[in-house]
Amino acid sequence: MSMPYFAEEIPGKRVIMLGNEAIARGILEAGVVIGAGYPGTPSSEILDTLAKMKPYYPHLNIEWSINEKVGFEVAYGGSMSNARSVALMKHVGLNVASDAFMTACYAGARGGMVVVSADDPNCFSSQNEQDNRYFGLHALIPVFEPSTAQEAKDLIKYAFEFSEEHHTIVLFRTTTRLNHGRGDVMLGEIQNIDRPYGFDWDRARWVCLPSHSRVLRTKLLERFEKISNLADEFPFNSLKLSSEKINGIRYGFIAAGIPYAQLIDTLIDFGLENKVSILKLGMVIPPPKKLIRKLLSSVDKILVVEELEPIIENILKQLAYENKLVNEVEIHGKDYFPQQGEFSGEIYLEKVANFIGIKFEKNSIPDIKISLPPRLPVLCPGCSHRSTFYAITLLEKELKLKFINSSDIGCYTLAVYKPLECVDTEICMGGSIGLANGFAKIHSTENPILAILGDSTFFHSGVPALINAVYNQNNILVVILDNRSTSMTGFQDNPGTGIKITKEPGTRVVIEELVRGCGVPSENIWVEDSNNLNKMVEKLREAVKSQGVRVFISRHLCSLLEEREFRLKQIQIPVVKVDPSKCKGCLICVNQFGCPALSFDSEEKKTNIDQEICRGCKVCISVCQYDAIYEEIN
Amino acid sequence: MVIQINKGLENWIIEKKRFSVLNVGVGGQGIIRTTQILAWAALMDGYQVRTAETHGMAQRGGSVSAYLRFGPEVASPLIPKGYVDIILAFEISEALRVFNFSGPNTYFFVNNKIIIPPMVNQMGFKYPSNENLCQQLKNLLNNIYFFDADKLALKAGTSKALNVVMLGILLGSDKLPIKEDSLQHSILRFIPKKSQEVNRIAFQLGIEKGKSIRRELL
Repeated sequence: MSMPYFAEEIPGKRVIMLGNEAIARGILEAGVVIGAGYPGTPSSEILDTLAKMKPYYPHLNIEWSINEKVGFEVAYGGSMSNARSVALMKHVGLNVASDAFMTACYAGARGGMVVVSADDPNCFSSQNEQDNRYFGLHALIPVFEPSTAQEAKDLIKYAFEFSEEHHTIVLFRTTTRLNHGRGDVMLGEIQNIDRPYGFDWDRARWVCLPSHSRVLRTKLLERFEKISNLADEFPFNSLKLSSEKINGIRYGFIAAGIPYAQLIDTLIDFGLENKVSILKLGMVIPPPKKLIRKLLSSVDKILVVEELEPIIENILKQLAYENKLVNEVEIHGKDYFPQQGEFSGEIYLEKVANFIGIKFEKNSIPDIKISLPPRLPVLCPGCSHRSTFYAITLLEKELKLKFINSSDIGCYTLAVYKPLECVDTEICMGGSIGLANGFAKIHSTENPILAILGDSTFFHSGVPALINAVYNQNNILVVILDNRSTSMTGFQDNPGTGIKITKEPGTRVVIEELVRGCGVPSENIWVEDSNNLNKMVEKLREAVKSQGVRVFISRHLCSLLEEREFRLKQIQIPVVKVDPSKCKGCLICVNQFGCPALSFDSEEKKTNIDQEICRGCKVCISVCQYDAIYEEIN
Repeated sequence: MVIQINKGLENWIIEKKRFSVLNVGVGGQGIIRTTQILAWAALMDGYQVRTAETHGMAQRGGSVSAYLRFGPEVASPLIPKGYVDIILAFEISEALRVFNFSGPNTYFFVNNKIIIPPMVNQMGFKYPSNENLCQQLKNLLNNIYFFDADKLALKAGTSKALNVVMLGILLGSDKLPIKEDSLQHSILRFIPKKSQEVNRIAFQLGIEKGKSIRRELL
């Protein structure tokens, strides 16, 4: 195999890179040694890309950690040992890591230490759209934010240098459009850091007990103050002043990240790019006070263009007050732009025009209402989760009981939609079991309590909640959907597969053994093949009817991976067909099981199987009560 | 290229600095790969390039869209509604979902294929027919062209060549300011050796189809 473009050692070469590849490239160029994290959209491809670089750069020591907190600690251990280190996660991952993160920021970095937080305005692939720039203010560390793929590469490379120079952890914040957008990038030089790595036994620094932490807190405040004073010279911040007036008024703008890129093109569209003052931030926290003061005193009206929370806007208002400029300059932000979601391309045109007082007519054709049903994401054809959820729905009907299906983060959350409607809660990673513990204290046996979560999610943060249930005797049934993969984020391996990020063998952690070790008795543990529907129903019935903490492991490889495996091993995918003479048109398979490969011919009143997308899981054969679906053997 | 951005007070007329393409379809149709191919081709022509794509959860059989912008000077990936130059739709109802991204100068290229979303019937919706969707689109837009790219891909030898057929059509139509050489190189970059011949045929079939569309345009 030839070397991938993002790994090439040809400085100056221009390539197209996904934002996440550019971040990985910057990490490589910075001479980083340790990289750890947990997959989460839109951040996952950064470590995936580093894994693809690893064969050519063996010094890269990377892993998928069990969760973001451990991932952060792994990286921080690297930094304590004088190695450049990076922790990678999505925005909500930093919540998980924050226990370690908040105190590590006191002790600061030895080897350059960067935490990448990929935020997700609009919740494209997330449960919330929290603005992690606040973490910079919260932990008193600088927050860098790039606006293009090129800048992402250059800025993260610089972040490691900055971190080392100022002994601070750097938070590198991106948003979805940066991570999952491509751009032209010029490759840079790959640094070779030649220095000894090793721990330094500096207990006053690394042991954060109260007497040390008070001292560290003083140093933290001093460090942040110093960085704050340097922000004006920060190479990725820039202030372009214009003294031009538009209808007698001098205008100014402040932006960072993707909003900066959109703003610039919008100003170009209006021919305004040289007629207004623009402060571009590469370091959003702490803000460059002198540059801001200069801007405040150079214009009459400022518009802060930032998605989500009004962080820069509030800082600006504070600085205007401190500089006695409140009456000299108008500061706008959230009175123009929404505090929710991603700003679309046309919002920039509309709001900038509005702000400057240009008449702007929309170019698009009238926004008439179209009558088109939604195309929602669904569980794939042959997905083993569907079989498990279907078994649960059958049992609910049979036992005439309403289950509380406390669920979790993963592909399987899609079972919230029709026809399965088998997901009643989803808050955070591992939350299914934690919440179930609470439900068990309120609800009687009329409502069996199920905690349903995936294999990787169980390892991530389900384990402590399971131990809690055992210890406190909270009566719940945990269903682990073990499809041997972290599929939603791109099929990453996890302890259950025992394969490391580099595809080298690691040590497999067997879920049933782990569960037993957590104190669940053997007679309360079931392991079944998800796709064996009849057996699944039988054993799940047993599990639902039993008492105490029970764990049901429903195991079958992710259908996408299984298809890949079949193709590699040249195994014929089973051919499943409908015998029209037996099909009664009862629609159970289509309307209650709901595999996308099944459709109903409303003229013939028979079910059809789309052979193009059928993955031959054969579960629908058991779903059919009239034996009308069969496997064709030739 | 000159476009009129605004007919307001001062008649802001600016020179066009960038070209914008919106690719839409259903997860699995190759929308992201198509965008990636176009991005590399634009790079080879010496342009700055930006894309924004749908990854992750939404990909599981959901609607997928990808923005692409290139030109001598481009910073932003997202295209304002009304300022798309080309919409390349791999599926007809997905074309309808983004119709309001088009403005008076948008060219709309639509693969006349319908993929009915699973669960639509169970949710109690009725999905419109091909004819109905075509008619709705024609009523809304002027520069819209329908073709059966799946058929051409099969003719070339594999349904998987759909995206290469679509790229051929785009190029043949003469509406895409990218050099044929660059596009061809870029396609080959992403195609394994054993499939290159099929894709070369698919590209040519697409170009021919695009040329016939060009004649319609004149």
